[in-house]
Amino acid sequence: MSKRAESIRRISAVLAVAGVTVALGGCASDSGNGITTLNFFQFKGEALEDFDQMIADFEADNPDIRIVQNQVADADTLIRTLLVKDRVPDIITLNANGNFGRLAEAGVFRDFSDDPVLETINPAVQDILADLGTYGDEVNGLGYVNNANGVIYNTAMFEEQGLEVPETWDEFIAVCDALVDAGITPFYGTLADSWTAMPSWNALGAYPAQDDFFDKMREEGENVGPDSEVSFEKNFVEAMDQQYELFSYMQDGYRGRTYDDGNAAFANGEAAMLLQGIWATNPITQVNPDIEMGIFPYPTTDDPDDRLLVSGVDVVFTMGKDNPKEEAAMRFIDYAFSPDVIEKFAASQNMVPSVKGAELSDDPALQSVKPYFDEGRITGFIDHQVPPSIPLTPTVQEFLFNGDTQSALAALDNEWRKVAARTIPVTTGEER
Amino acid sequence: MTITQAVRSSTPSKAVPQRAPRIRTEAKRAPSAYYWMVWPAVIAFAAFHTVPVIVGVFFSFTNYAGYGAWNFVGLSNYVNLFRDDRVLQAYGFSFLFAIVATILTNAFSLAIAMGLNAKIKARNFWRGVYFVPYILAILVIGYVFQFFFSNSLPKILAGVPLFADNILTNETWAWTAIVALAVWQSCAFAIIIYLSGLQTIPAELYEASSLDGASPWRTFRSITFPLIGAFFTINVVLSLKGFLQVFDPIVALTNGGPGTSTESVTLLIFRGGFSGGEFAYQTANAVIFFIVITIVSLFQFRVLQRREADF
Repeated sequence: MSKRAESIRRISAVLAVAGVTVALGGCASDSGNGITTLNFFQFKGEALEDFDQMIADFEADNPDIRIVQNQVADADTLIRTLLVKDRVPDIITLNANGNFGRLAEAGVFRDFSDDPVLETINPAVQDILADLGTYGDEVNGLGYVNNANGVIYNTAMFEEQGLEVPETWDEFIAVCDALVDAGITPFYGTLADSWTAMPSWNALGAYPAQDDFFDKMREEGENVGPDSEVSFEKNFVEAMDQQYELFSYMQDGYRGRTYDDGNAAFANGEAAMLLQGIWATNPITQVNPDIEMGIFPYPTTDDPDDRLLVSGVDVVFTMGKDNPKEEAAMRFIDYAFSPDVIEKFAASQNMVPSVKGAELSDDPALQSVKPYFDEGRITGFIDHQVPPSIPLTPTVQEFLFNGDTQSALAALDNEWRKVAARTIPVTTGEER
Repeated sequence: MTITQAVRSSTPSKAVPQRAPRIRTEAKRAPSAYYWMVWPAVIAFAAFHTVPVIVGVFFSFTNYAGYGAWNFVGLSNYVNLFRDDRVLQAYGFSFLFAIVATILTNAFSLAIAMGLNAKIKARNFWRGVYFVPYILAILVIGYVFQFFFSNSLPKILAGVPLFADNILTNETWAWTAIVALAVWQSCAFAIIIYLSGLQTIPAELYEASSLDGASPWRTFRSITFPLIGAFFTINVVLSLKGFLQVFDPIVALTNGGPGTSTESVTLLIFRGGFSGGEFAYQTANAVIFFIVITIVSLFQFRVLQRREADF
């Protein structure tokens, strides 16, 4: 008996010591020396060093704030886990995709509508964010840098062939035919990576998706079909046919090539154009630093002035609702959005800064999309509006393999109906 | 099974009063040391296995998205599952895949195991070689196979349209490429089981059959196969169960594509539940799938065990 009691006492003593150690370790970071430590949740791996530099500069001017950058893989999953556990980071950057929109709708992010920094941001960028989803009328995120989704083209090759950047669909096809006649592959296709089917789908589909197409789709819900007011089968036939036509100008064997193959081939001049976005310019220049390239939006309208550039908010800044360290976090956000800081970041990341008056780097590819941002002729990625439980990417990829427009669009409508039918909204009883 | 029978057969003689003996048997209980050995395992198993299963079943009756608030929705997730043609297609694919892969795996493994059991040169070396695929990580192998299917085969068999155009992008035949990878990898484990089964067969039986002048085929049919019946059963049941849950070979080769033509049930559960934001709906799917696999496995055991030879 006594021996047993003795051993239990010993074990509990060890446990108690361990517990105290853990507890002390846990609160050692914020001891009352007036320094606020901010937890900075950061999703973009390639921006790690840029943010390190930005934080170092900021801390030098603000000795009372310390920022710890947590760069994570698979941020979309992790941020959900953190939000569920109520361990919301003090500053958050995310990719502004459909997932961000759903989180914003759930009301977990701060409302920035009254912050002065909002006035400095290009309103077209904030519109893209608002389209993804917000909690009521709030502004739940601040767009930081944008990408551009267009046709990348080899400017030197276009000049050699005496070709102009096409402004209408017919001119576009004429350019492709001229390139074929000159023995040049117009596009380098990379369908082995299924997502590479999506940039062109997003860009061409952006035109039929104007005028609240997706709002109407959500209203139709279970009734979406060939006879409803809007549907994929009704509105997307032309866009999908156009996409298929572009893919007929690909090199042989494009079904088995990957994204990396495509970037390398374009960099080495094996094709004149790529159906990709500005994110591809970095890997391309890594293969061939001397290549000259530009980007133009997909010219599918009759009137060249109606062309729209599809752009996504690549980095959005936000923070949790009711953040106790709000004041310090806002100081960092204000600093990040000051023109010279954002310019430096955007130039390093090859992105378009969202702040009005911030200059683009003199990279020719970026300069070629500048007018669209200046004039607000940008629109968001439409695949962010499609519920993620719909197998959109595989369906588009399959369509590009077999060219069956009708069955692809019917499949999308069918999935939309089913998802609408089985999505049962949460009724919490709270006002919303 | 045998324990319960033993208990039952001893009780009838004692007739009605059953409660009282309980206290008396306390002295005969196992020493407490056994409890200390058993409890951690029981607690860990319950915490990491049983409780999550029950929680999962619970959430399948809600509209939980994986985060945020939720309500009870009754059986509607289950009702919707049966109306979802994508789910039905995934079940169809999983069963087609599992049946073909099980047959091929067991045919190949049994043949190779017989070879490895025979007196051949460098027997241990060959046994090692055939076990290698089991050690390698499936995703690594998957990417090697993907390169093979999308880059090498189109060049080697440029004359065959099916292969020249990358079989992985062919919605009708892509599944055969996945079968090839899955069978190639899972043969190793099946071979080991068959080998151990073959080694339990006494050599005298073969001596007797050779004295009787039986042909090799007759020897296989009448001696070898019946005597490894139990190993055959376990291999077939395990293969079918494993292949029904196929996941990594698909991720590595086609990722469910083209379209959704190679989407298995597990891939659909994973995709729809995590990235698709339909956690509760796919949890219901997982519950159904669990029931289906259990029924299929029990059914197989019953049918196959009847055929086993007892010695």
